[in-house]
Amino acid sequence: MESNKRYWKGLEEYKNTPDFVENSKNEFAEPLPIEDVLNEAGLSTVTPRRDFLKALGFGLGAVTLAACQTAPVHKSIPYLIKPEEVVPGIPNYYVSSYNGQSVLVKTREGRPIKIEPNPNAGAFNTGTDAQTQASVLDLYDVSKLKGPLLKDSAGALSDSNWAAIDQFVKAELTKAQASGKKIRIVSSSINSPSTIAVVADFIVAYPATKHVQYDAISYTGIIKANENSFGKPVVPKYNFDKADLVVSFGADFLGTWISGEEFTAQYVSNRDYKSLKSGKMSRHFQFETGMSLTGTNADTRVPIKLSEEGPALIALYNAITGAGLAGGSLPANVTADKALKLVGKELLQNKGKALVVSGSNDVSTQILVNAINSAIGSYGTTIDLDNPNKRYSGNDAEFAELTNEMNRGEVAAVLFLDSNPVYDVANTKAFTDGLAKVGLKISFSDRKDETSTLCDVVAINHNYLESWGDASAYEGNYSIVQPTINPVFNSRQAEESLLNWSNGPVKEYYQYVRNNWESKILPVLGKTWVDVLQTGVFAGTPKAAGTYTFGLSLAAVIPSIINNSKALAKEGQIELQVYQSVAMRDGKHANNAFLQELPDPVSKVTWDNYIALAPKFADKLGYKEFDIVSVKDDKGYTIDLPVLIQPGQAQGTASIALGYGRTKVGKAGDNVGKNAYPFVSFTNGTYKYATTVSLTATGGRDELAQTQTHHSFEGRNIIREATFTEYKKNPSAGSGNEHGKHKSYDLWDKYEKPGNNWVMAIDLNACTGCGSCIVACNVENNIPVVGKDEVRRRREMHWIRIDRYYSFNVEGEGHAAEGEHGTGINAVTKEKEIAHLDNLDNVSVVHQPMLCQHCDHAPCETVCPVLATVHSSDGLNHMAYNRCVGTRYCANNCPYKVRRFNWFNYWNDSRFDNYLNNEFTQLVLNPDVTTRSRGVMEKCSMCIQRIQGGKLKAKIEKRPLKDGDIKMACQEACSANAIIFGDGNDPNSEVSKALRSERIYYVLEEINVQPGVGYMTKIRNTDTTVQA
Amino acid sequence: MSGHKESILREPLITGNNITYAKITNDILLPVENKPNKAWWIGFILSLCGATLWVVAVSYTFWFGIGSWGLNKTVGWAWDITGFVWWVGIGHAGTLISAVLLLFRQNWRNSINRSAEAMTIFAVICAATYVVSHMGRPWLAYWVLPLPNQFGSLWVNFNSPLVWDMFAISTYFSVSLLFWYTGLLPDIATIRDRATGMRRKIYSIFSFGWSGNVKTWQRFEAVSLVLAGISTPLVLSVHTIVSMDFATSVIPGWHTTIFPPYFVAGAIFSGFAMVLTLLLVARKVLGLENYITMFHIESMNKIIILTGSIVGVAYLTEFFIAWYSGSEYEQYAFINRSTGPYWWAYWMMMTCNVISPQLLWFKKIRTNIPATWILSIVVNVGMWFERFVIIVTSLHRDYLPSSWAMFYPTWVDVSVFIGSIGLFFTLFLLFLRVLPSIAIAEVKLLLKSASEQAKLEQIKEGHLDKEQVAEYIESLDKFDSVKQEQYAKI
Repeated sequence: MESNKRYWKGLEEYKNTPDFVENSKNEFAEPLPIEDVLNEAGLSTVTPRRDFLKALGFGLGAVTLAACQTAPVHKSIPYLIKPEEVVPGIPNYYVSSYNGQSVLVKTREGRPIKIEPNPNAGAFNTGTDAQTQASVLDLYDVSKLKGPLLKDSAGALSDSNWAAIDQFVKAELTKAQASGKKIRIVSSSINSPSTIAVVADFIVAYPATKHVQYDAISYTGIIKANENSFGKPVVPKYNFDKADLVVSFGADFLGTWISGEEFTAQYVSNRDYKSLKSGKMSRHFQFETGMSLTGTNADTRVPIKLSEEGPALIALYNAITGAGLAGGSLPANVTADKALKLVGKELLQNKGKALVVSGSNDVSTQILVNAINSAIGSYGTTIDLDNPNKRYSGNDAEFAELTNEMNRGEVAAVLFLDSNPVYDVANTKAFTDGLAKVGLKISFSDRKDETSTLCDVVAINHNYLESWGDASAYEGNYSIVQPTINPVFNSRQAEESLLNWSNGPVKEYYQYVRNNWESKILPVLGKTWVDVLQTGVFAGTPKAAGTYTFGLSLAAVIPSIINNSKALAKEGQIELQVYQSVAMRDGKHANNAFLQELPDPVSKVTWDNYIALAPKFADKLGYKEFDIVSVKDDKGYTIDLPVLIQPGQAQGTASIALGYGRTKVGKAGDNVGKNAYPFVSFTNGTYKYATTVSLTATGGRDELAQTQTHHSFEGRNIIREATFTEYKKNPSAGSGNEHGKHKSYDLWDKYEKPGNNWVMAIDLNACTGCGSCIVACNVENNIPVVGKDEVRRRREMHWIRIDRYYSFNVEGEGHAAEGEHGTGINAVTKEKEIAHLDNLDNVSVVHQPMLCQHCDHAPCETVCPVLATVHSSDGLNHMAYNRCVGTRYCANNCPYKVRRFNWFNYWNDSRFDNYLNNEFTQLVLNPDVTTRSRGVMEKCSMCIQRIQGGKLKAKIEKRPLKDGDIKMACQEACSANAIIFGDGNDPNSEVSKALRSERIYYVLEEINVQPGVGYMTKIRNTDTTVQA
Repeated sequence: MSGHKESILREPLITGNNITYAKITNDILLPVENKPNKAWWIGFILSLCGATLWVVAVSYTFWFGIGSWGLNKTVGWAWDITGFVWWVGIGHAGTLISAVLLLFRQNWRNSINRSAEAMTIFAVICAATYVVSHMGRPWLAYWVLPLPNQFGSLWVNFNSPLVWDMFAISTYFSVSLLFWYTGLLPDIATIRDRATGMRRKIYSIFSFGWSGNVKTWQRFEAVSLVLAGISTPLVLSVHTIVSMDFATSVIPGWHTTIFPPYFVAGAIFSGFAMVLTLLLVARKVLGLENYITMFHIESMNKIIILTGSIVGVAYLTEFFIAWYSGSEYEQYAFINRSTGPYWWAYWMMMTCNVISPQLLWFKKIRTNIPATWILSIVVNVGMWFERFVIIVTSLHRDYLPSSWAMFYPTWVDVSVFIGSIGLFFTLFLLFLRVLPSIAIAEVKLLLKSASEQAKLEQIKEGHLDKEQVAEYIESLDKFDSVKQEQYAKI
């Protein structure tokens, strides 16, 4: 229906006036005052309210639009076809092996991010060492080569491809074989059955080949001594767990000697809270030159010079057997003499339950040690020669002979597999001169290192996380290495290269390993290949450990020992010990920033090596700490190093760590410290890590980057200790925990803690101070490495640190800790009193892991103005990074000083480019833990991502959380089980049981911050009759 | 106030002859209404260089991070909070002079309150810049304000002394500004009335239409009293709260109940020293000797010796309590202060704050202008060291010896501090150029009763006790602005 209604807009329209008709032709009925507005008069008028609002609106809109800057685009590409086993956000674990130890590799979305011990791997595989923890970073090292290198026509190494390399190498090897000269494969010790088979195949293809194994840190002395004494050229299996009495002469068995992480687990099993509860604690004597990690844990530690080690062993032998061998006296070292007599007596009392080890690489010395061990019945109990340790099988003499062969021009081709002799042999010049005479030089190194730069071919090897392989750390014990990521760069596994070059039937190494296992290993074990990939490690039935008796004459050995000793005791010279540092070891992983920043457990130095001198000795020489001195040996090798004053260092001696001074390892490790390998000498068929040097002052000073600069605990009861004798009388001796209860008083109502209450117990008697927890925490929690300069400014970011305190035992001096905490330990712990002591040799050490104590009355929480750090109902002190404005008040008010501030954007600031300032290395980051920006406080979160992960897993499986479901990264890495974490609300949890121990005390409990981490007193099984 | 005659025994607050209301206005407005002299330019350029250094150093810090300062895991505050507390303390004299002395009817404050209040405001500005720049993420500084927000309705932590501090400082700043500006109104109107052109317009706006009628004056007086009442508790509260930044913590050397009174005394101590530092120069350069007289200088010196001694007693008390407490951490903290690695800072503090101000017991010294000026600077050096000692020596060796560390400042630390002094003087010198440095209206109040010429008139009238007159004349000896010869014949 058509409407006849008509609407009009005004009377003008209704009336249809002529004006209206005229105006309606225009778009705007009335002319707009544009001209007026734009001319001066218009502008100068008072702005009407509406115009003002319009301008305001426009301005606001414009500014808003202008502010809409495009955010940086981060491409994330979803899986087009999702791999079946990958669920984003859920980690996968694969078994693998590192350095012969079976491990679990945690991967997230296809990238390995963390290494954990394999729980299938036997009783003493309870943790991993710092190197294993840090090894994941090596995969993401930007200093690695991205493809193989081949020497071009100009003689320079240049990018190449595998086909060209294979063609070149095969032709050259054939030529070398035909020339009648020698081909040599130089490697560090190989215990992988498959690699050994590959090398054997290669030798079949090129019969002029010989496999020369050498280790930068050699154990040839032990191997040769055992061959000599018992006809067994092996490093035996040591059972520290069966030793009630351990006597070590310079062997750092808890740190760097053979397999420290495993020995730690064995050793601590006789000393930790469980052992103490059953009333048992081993006793440990350490006679050594430099203060080693093991020395810091000894019940009695006696400093001896390197030249006194031989005579000391002779004296001990005499004391045990009653033999009257000459040279067994230490006229200059009364303490050691006294201690040795006592040790001799105790060894006889502990026959069959004692172990004597020596860190010497001298065959004669090790033969004498064998004789001692035989006399105290160690073979078959604490030493097992029938299931030997296969980690080390290097032969120093063979390697020395190789240098001669090369120099004589007898070698046509040399292949360097997992070895870098140009850096780590004693006589670099002889080696490089010889190397220049070799026709074909191939390195399998993953980077242009000291040796590979001198080679013709760099056939870059996979990282172990990209590799197939296997290991056999002990006779009859096999573990698998399986890849956890596709090769990142154009690398090829060394074994595969060798297979290719030897033209074997199987060229793919995976197939080769599998064939090898299926034909040789699995039938013996009765397992399948899938079992291997799932379990990772198989220990066959160990052979019964035989008892061996030393029946040879020592007549030839003793003069050799005495001569060695005399050679070191030169008038006017200083005896120098070169040793492996716990962090850097032999220097292979010098480009690993986590290891460079791991403080040395004893000196707390990072990013450097130094010359350690005893305090009184340095005074005598006129050196102060950090003075740079020139160290010169009799061959003329000279390096300048800063002095570190090391209490416990034997008088008249100095120690320098190996593994530093790399020049071609990568941007983190280049030119850190000085190379001490040239101080190593080759005598009597083995490398000796002792020499004599002279020191001269240079006048320079270089402050070492230490994470701890005050070394005594000033008599404060933050450290509580007792002797084992006292402990047996009263288990709460020293702890102040007499009635098994820690009372706390509150002005306020306590908060309820329903559900869980996460707490921790730390056993100071188990902790050896090795520091693998620190690296584990770094990797787990994306903790930035800050570099030497920042550490020197005391800005390292470690969430867990190990405080190391020295105290000095002086007869008749010092104070027992006061009051109810009183114990019989008379130690001088105050800096001012220490300064007046005449004798600083008798030093005791305690290691105290320190991390956020998650105080129930946290002083940090009350002072934060923005509530960025708050308490959770399950007993944790949370840190909300996003809320933090960075006033640092919390850190100031933390009595434990465990909070760490991001002074800079460490992960994205070119000035701190240690490792993480590139997208590739950032793949190592744990996606469950946010990276922290500049200006934000951080600290231990009790691995809250692990707690949440554990809770979620239990929830998905519809079960309550079990004790042990959740483990902290530090706890998992700890070989000594010194860290116990769990739910304090569960009276049956391991941590609750541990916290009920009489030894438990809380650090600074007197200020009523109510910390959540309990410490167990340090118990020392000292014998008070030995005093320096 | 001005109607009655003041006792002849009181020393004059305005000296000089032939002082009229007009002359007062002319004298005080001299620097405001004329081109600056050479001395001003030299001072201004130097200060501006300092302020530029401040901009550079703070920008550097913002760009690279707090790591460009020398702080570390153990010492989280050092020159930053030292500077903050130092500046806040300096500000205190202004409030004390303007508020407390007003309530106590101490008329001598009339000559110095304006500059002292200006100093307060500029000092608080310098302090506030530290509050922001010491933060790790200064762009989020507003998070310490309890603002309604959409971060999940996050609130601030009312338990935190830093939040109290934020309230204290912002209240202090706003009240001081208000008080200062209210006092300025009649004086700005005076400038307006004498100015022409653009100047007149600008001063007209800033005078808020001051008409000068009786009602306005009456309200002005009332508002001044009310504001004085509001400000008075701030004199005590601000530094009390600043001291709680330390006192409520658990760190030995900080956790001390004596802090509030001790900090307040220290603040007044340093504030008066700074007023002296500024005004001794200003009165000479600006020719204001007749209005800021030796009486003022001596009075301020007396306050300095009083507060300095209170501070000294506090230092000793701290030591006694540390010993008496039996707490080994507390005892160590204090022994470490005086004999540890920072012993020199402690003894610097002791010398400058406790020992050297004792010289002011001598009248010769406290009425000697160069000596007073040097001592005033010594006091401020000492007060800077006091805060440094409290902050750094307590933090650097606290509970666990493993974390003990040293603090070494970087060039940025030093530049931010020197720069803040430059900023302060830049602001102060600009103030001298655009606003009257003495409260004109309030000084005029004193002319009829408390000026030298009024008193001379009284003496000439001859009704006064001779002994009192003699005593009065003797008291004039110390005045450098009094023509002594005219009293020779009386």
